[in-house]
Amino acid sequence: MLRSKTAVKPDGPAKVIDREWIVKKVLFVLAMMTVLGILLIVLMVTKESIPALTKAGPFNLFSSRWDPSTGHYGMLIFLVGTLLTTIGGLILGVPLAIGTAIFVTQMAPPRAAGFVSRGIEVLAGIPSIVIGWLGFTVLVPVLVKLTSSTGNGILAASIILAIMIMPTITAIASDALESVPVEYKQGSFGLGATRWQTIWHVMLPAARPGLIVAVILGMGRAIGETMAVALVIGPATAWPKSLWTPTHTLTTKILMEIQESTGTTRSALFTMALVLLLFSMMMIMLVRAFTKKKEYARGAA
Amino acid sequence: MEAEVIDVIKVRRVAREAQQRKSVRSDRVATIAVWSIAATGIGVLTFIVGVILWRGLATALTPGFIFGQPQAFKAGGGIWPMVVSSFYLAFLTLLIVLPVGVGAGIYMGEYSKQGWAARSIRFGADSLSTVPSLVFGIVGLSLLAVYLRLSYCLLAGAIVLALLNLPTIMRTTEESLKAVPQTYREASMGLGASKWYTIRKVVMPTAVPGITTGAVLTLGRVIGESAAVVYLVGMYVSRVPLSPLSPGAPMAANIYHLYNEAALLPDAARVASGESAFLLLVVLALMLLARLVSWFFKRKTRVADRFA
Repeated sequence: MLRSKTAVKPDGPAKVIDREWIVKKVLFVLAMMTVLGILLIVLMVTKESIPALTKAGPFNLFSSRWDPSTGHYGMLIFLVGTLLTTIGGLILGVPLAIGTAIFVTQMAPPRAAGFVSRGIEVLAGIPSIVIGWLGFTVLVPVLVKLTSSTGNGILAASIILAIMIMPTITAIASDALESVPVEYKQGSFGLGATRWQTIWHVMLPAARPGLIVAVILGMGRAIGETMAVALVIGPATAWPKSLWTPTHTLTTKILMEIQESTGTTRSALFTMALVLLLFSMMMIMLVRAFTKKKEYARGAA
Repeated sequence: MEAEVIDVIKVRRVAREAQQRKSVRSDRVATIAVWSIAATGIGVLTFIVGVILWRGLATALTPGFIFGQPQAFKAGGGIWPMVVSSFYLAFLTLLIVLPVGVGAGIYMGEYSKQGWAARSIRFGADSLSTVPSLVFGIVGLSLLAVYLRLSYCLLAGAIVLALLNLPTIMRTTEESLKAVPQTYREASMGLGASKWYTIRKVVMPTAVPGITTGAVLTLGRVIGESAAVVYLVGMYVSRVPLSPLSPGAPMAANIYHLYNEAALLPDAARVASGESAFLLLVVLALMLLARLVSWFFKRKTRVADRFA
């Protein structure tokens, strides 16, 4: 029954290959693929953005004028577009997500809780291009009527992003609320607090680090989301004059120009990807700062 | 004097009752607010799924659409090459990511100690899962397409998507392994089995349901992914891709193509809506399958049954 060589003859001759050792090393190499992968990504993006950094320089790259034909590679408009759509998505999405998490973990009868969390899982599974297509064919026409504009822009993107980040935030916030020790709740009820007082004064403060992590990871998704935003943001290389004028975000600009561009323009697009990578790294640092011991890795994607 | 004392008590009682009424009222208001937020969430979901299906289901369920040849310039085309591309790409991706991811998960769950190696692997996995998929796409574009001349093919997309989903598979495996009771390992190794033998014969069979569920969910994510593959695999093909080295057009990428080329194709909106509905159905079916898999295994391999 014991087929492993080392187990059968532990004192066997030295030339018997130590299978255990080999297995361990092979598995280690497989696990190191994650490190290799992220190093490869960081190195490639950095390498590709060097021409723009040296030829155009940081001042040019972070200016507000994008006009490669005259040598202007400013990404400020797109950076602001990313920040505004992300903030908009958070403003609309966070109350919805945290409220749903409170409902699922604190208020709902078991059946309703199961139904709602199953529904949120489904929402998380809808491909972003499908949500984008829906935004383009349903949401934008509505905004056109309401605002008498082209309908594309920050507001449309924010609404779409709110829908897309809600499942992430709800899932992690629910975990955080569920991991609050039940004694806290019992103690609060025992002192005569109402349910809402318990939630507001006990549960939410106790779960705060987890809730912050949930929002950060939702923010990460919003910053990196590409396809759904691309279909409703405009596109236009211009400052957004209002919430419903076409503009661009970092991801949509890269998506739409990476293929046709060459030389410094292409390199400038990689610099934008480098900025996105920096955002990702910042996000991880923040998450780690808030979860010193706990592992909140799930849902990060 | 006496009356004054009673008064104070009375005032305090009235105040307390007012306070209680206020708390009860705010509790009620908050309850209504939270219920309506949850209802809004479910309403949005129902609306989204409903509208996608309403606009596209009639098209999507026509055999001539699913199995039809796509048209570049005239109306009435189908999406068969895109359907094949999506599943082909997902299959290739799983072929790459499953061995690597499960192996990495076994290492993290069974072998790694809390050292620099484990910390950097965890950091690598966390980083990979926060990097936007578009960045995976353009790195793939510059690395595979320019240096390895692997441009516009299913294999290039599969390699990049494998890296994109590596953290998920690794984590699912690790978590499934951690759920296996320590006593199983002790019993096996106590009988003299080696560690690898124990993992293969005792630990892994118990962890398979979790890993299978993770793999099916990954399948759904790969099929829905668009930003990473548009420039690696392709957005439009007229024939079914056969070799991993031939260009493909996954459904998700093709919808973006239809959005871009709406001016060329008279019924682009019809095709895109139909394709969206079909894609949604596929993804929902995969989620259901993942649930069925875990339910099936849970029934089949109860801890008590296995060792009874």
